[in-house]
Amino acid sequence: MTTVSMTVNGRQVSADVEDRTLLVDYLRNAISLTGTHVGCDTSQCGACVVHVDGRAVKSCTMLAVQAAGSSVTTIEGLATGDELHPVQAAFREHHGLQCGFCTPGMIMTAVDMIRRHGGQLDEATVRHELEGNICRCTGYHNIVKAILDAAAKMQMPAAAE
Amino acid sequence: MFWQPTSLQEAVRLLADEGGILVAGGTDVFPALVDRPSPAGLIDLTRCAELKGIAIGADAIRIGAGSRWSEIARASLPRGLAALQAAAREVGSVQIQNSGTIGGNLCNASPAADGVPPLLALDAAIELVGPHGLRRLRVGDFVLGNRRTARAADEILSAVLIPRRLEAGGSAFLKLGARRYMVISIVMVAVTLVPGPDGRIADARVAVGAASAAAQRLGGLEARLIGTDPVGSAPADLVSAADVAGLSPIDDVRASAAYRLDAARELVGRAILQAWEAARA
Ligand SMILES: Cc1cc2nc3c(=O)[nH]c(=O)nc-3n(C[C@H](O)[C@H](O)[C@H](O)COP(=O)(O)OP(=O)(O)OC[C@H]3O[C@@H](n4cnc5c(N)ncnc54)[C@H](O)[C@@H]3O)c2cc1C
Repeated sequence: MTTVSMTVNGRQVSADVEDRTLLVDYLRNAISLTGTHVGCDTSQCGACVVHVDGRAVKSCTMLAVQAAGSSVTTIEGLATGDELHPVQAAFREHHGLQCGFCTPGMIMTAVDMIRRHGGQLDEATVRHELEGNICRCTGYHNIVKAILDAAAKMQMPAAAE
Repeated sequence: MFWQPTSLQEAVRLLADEGGILVAGGTDVFPALVDRPSPAGLIDLTRCAELKGIAIGADAIRIGAGSRWSEIARASLPRGLAALQAAAREVGSVQIQNSGTIGGNLCNASPAADGVPPLLALDAAIELVGPHGLRRLRVGDFVLGNRRTARAADEILSAVLIPRRLEAGGSAFLKLGARRYMVISIVMVAVTLVPGPDGRIADARVAVGAASAAAQRLGGLEARLIGTDPVGSAPADLVSAADVAGLSPIDDVRASAAYRLDAARELVGRAILQAWEAARA
């Protein structure tokens, strides 16, 4: 067992876990943030996407100890109090979800995409960059609409790389 | 046990003394386990300073083995490396590129590793560091077969070295999969072409992956391209069946061997035309 500490959604957290604990299991089981989902266990589906030091990663391809000391953002860290993040609000408005299982990963991917591309985000880029996130309700169309709408509303300048 | 060395030297010592499995981005290591727990001894290479960064030296461009695909895709590099950067953007998805490294891709040595053909087409070498020092091997002498490399159990891949000789050439990378992205390649091709003062091909490198246990260069075709100008040729006219006869693709769920050979021939022709267009731009 190792004590693994990191910052999650701006809060300092710490838990004793086995070295081989994946980041996704640390988030869900050790610190009880179950918004990050496990869909496939093989890094295909993208339900487990979180941000680690500003990079969108699949949290089932990383050990919790590898993220020690990092700053992690999960789906729970997006809203401000009762106010949804613009991407969450856009998913709701455009019916960008059906069963909702893939939604946390979709939204974390979308937030990263909008941060990098800002106003330059077009439909082809959204569809390309969503390749790492699988929705089995076949709901991509509304997801793409939601992301484009959120990007327009946020009108953030593209972040410097 | 889990070790997180911060220097290459420490990592080499740990590997020699403790054994254990090396892990970089984990995008091959962890998915392969599916839902089984990960092995007991892991050495995490992501904090080794020496494995990071891309540096343009006098004779070679040095890409640290721990460079992630997204770092390679975004780096500003000479146009001869365009094929490598194009491959970087086709490895899985954005999240996979944000974790997966070039060193992991080479050491995992999947026949479908997208990093290998562009590196063969650039005459790249790799550097291995072990308890007995450092050695360099050409990529073609390192990746030997399906999941087989020349790496000794106590060695760590530290960097990829790309000679600057071909960097002014035009290059292209084409990948055929069952769908556009997030697929294991059925065939992929990388081509580097350097134009001569006469406007014809002065130097050529052609490499094909996923169509044999390890990606291969097509030496006969490379030799024949020299002194020619491919403009106006159809892809199929540039490449003969004999040119791809040395490949030994397998039949599997993704494609039959015959289809892979056919696809390789067409894709090589298209990549030649695309690389030549880039070379003359
Ligand atoms: C959903 C998905 C899609 C993918 N799509 C593609 C694709 O399109 N194309 C493609 O080529 N690959 C693909 N991959 C495979 C993988 O992402 C790449 O091969 C990646 O480059 C591996 O790098 P890594 O750092 O994650 O390797 P790791 O998983 O960390 O390691 C891979 C192997 O290399 C060894 N290793 C790592 N670094 C070193 C080193 N410095 N020295 C010695 N040994 C080392 C490890 O011990 C292990 O055996 C995909 C994977 C997933 C999960």
